[in-house]
Amino acid sequence: MKLPAPLAFIARRLPEAPPSFALATALNLARPKFWPEEDFAWLTGKTVRLLVSDLDRGVNLTFDGQRFRSASLPADVTFGASLEDYLILARRQEDPDTLFFQRRLTIEGDTEIGLALKNLLDSTDLAPLFALLPRPLAARFGL
Amino acid sequence: MTRLPQLICPAGSLPALKTAVDNGADAVYTGFKNATNARNFAGLNFTDTQLAEGIRYAQSRGREVLIAINTFAQAGRLAEWRASIDRAADLGADAIILADMGLLAYAHKTHPQLKLHLSVQGSATNFEAINLAHECFGIRRAVLPRVLTLPQVEYVIKNTPVEIETFGFGSLCVMAEGRCILSSYATGQSPNTHGVCSPAAFVRWDNQGKIMNARLNGILIDRFDEGEPAGYPTLCKGRFAVQGETYYALEEPVSLNVLSILPELIRIGVTAIKVEGRQRSPAYVSEVTKTLRAALDTAGDEGYAVKPEWSTALDKVSEGHQQTLGAYSRPWK
Repeated sequence: MKLPAPLAFIARRLPEAPPSFALATALNLARPKFWPEEDFAWLTGKTVRLLVSDLDRGVNLTFDGQRFRSASLPADVTFGASLEDYLILARRQEDPDTLFFQRRLTIEGDTEIGLALKNLLDSTDLAPLFALLPRPLAARFGL
Repeated sequence: MTRLPQLICPAGSLPALKTAVDNGADAVYTGFKNATNARNFAGLNFTDTQLAEGIRYAQSRGREVLIAINTFAQAGRLAEWRASIDRAADLGADAIILADMGLLAYAHKTHPQLKLHLSVQGSATNFEAINLAHECFGIRRAVLPRVLTLPQVEYVIKNTPVEIETFGFGSLCVMAEGRCILSSYATGQSPNTHGVCSPAAFVRWDNQGKIMNARLNGILIDRFDEGEPAGYPTLCKGRFAVQGETYYALEEPVSLNVLSILPELIRIGVTAIKVEGRQRSPAYVSEVTKTLRAALDTAGDEGYAVKPEWSTALDKVSEGHQQTLGAYSRPWK
């Protein structure tokens, strides 16, 4: 999926704090359900940046020992991929290693945090999450 | 009717295990979250709760779960490895995969009902070694290192009562399995001691414009031009300057793919075909399991041929530039 040009034009100029905040809030809500046993010690005090490379915009996230929070740069680790490839990963149509081999996914900085995050998402059953999405949105993502 | 080999698929997580079972794996191999297995990566592998659920899921569908405890116990830390064997037995694993002779002896004595497989890390490449492990520890199966030609595999099978498992698909390693300490030169850690080569904490990728550098503990081990396929950041698959030429001096980043010789593997009596990749995601497990299942189901038929869509599917998820028959085919021999 590519954003239509006018939307992409706007997206490139938007600040990153609101989506980061929204993601942190969503993760705080999802945490008890998806990761009841995970203490996120490996993420505590560290910043992860998910860069949408075709928009040059991203979200920045940290864990403060209790909750996920939006964070400011610099990040300890940065993932980079196009919006389309992030959606492909979320739908589990391709695995991250495949996209990495094909140079469609980059990872810079602390590789160990990045790998822990990748493996956490792999071990998470995401079906209940998709079920929570409003139908039209889910359909837009092909879920 | 020809007896088909079992399809053994990798799982580093519960969703991957379920995916493997759903797509036709006969058995799934797994590991604990510690240094007792050769894929000891941050966040990968199973807690006891997850493994118990995975074993229930597989066994209730008539499939098996194998647990790899295939690194070598470190001096002073033997209790960790023994405890993992005890946990595997308690959880009801169908078999455990071991390499260390001391651990084989412990498992054989402590859990006589537990099936033992000799891991590829055990590095047994001849029938004498396999038969000795059979006599001493009662191993039921041996996983052959990826260094033997097809006639050599056949010769081993003819001379042992032990079931033989061979690799069918996945990333290749430097072919010194069970003996490799290459990554120790850069990181002080190696697969057989810490369960991981190129531990993530030592890996850094940095991008200079469109060029990507791969570093292991600060040492530049590869550089990828724009659009050039990347591989895992292991020393054996790095490019090095040797006598004025920079190239893959030790090992090309290629993937093993035995689809074209499946009928041969069946004919010589291979018991099980193993897929590499516990570090990979459920998406990989799904694609590879589905494809190998389809191929295996027809490989016993006359006129079997590799379907283009199978090759496309496997090509997509492969590490490196190409697929190979590896050591199986050595026409010059």
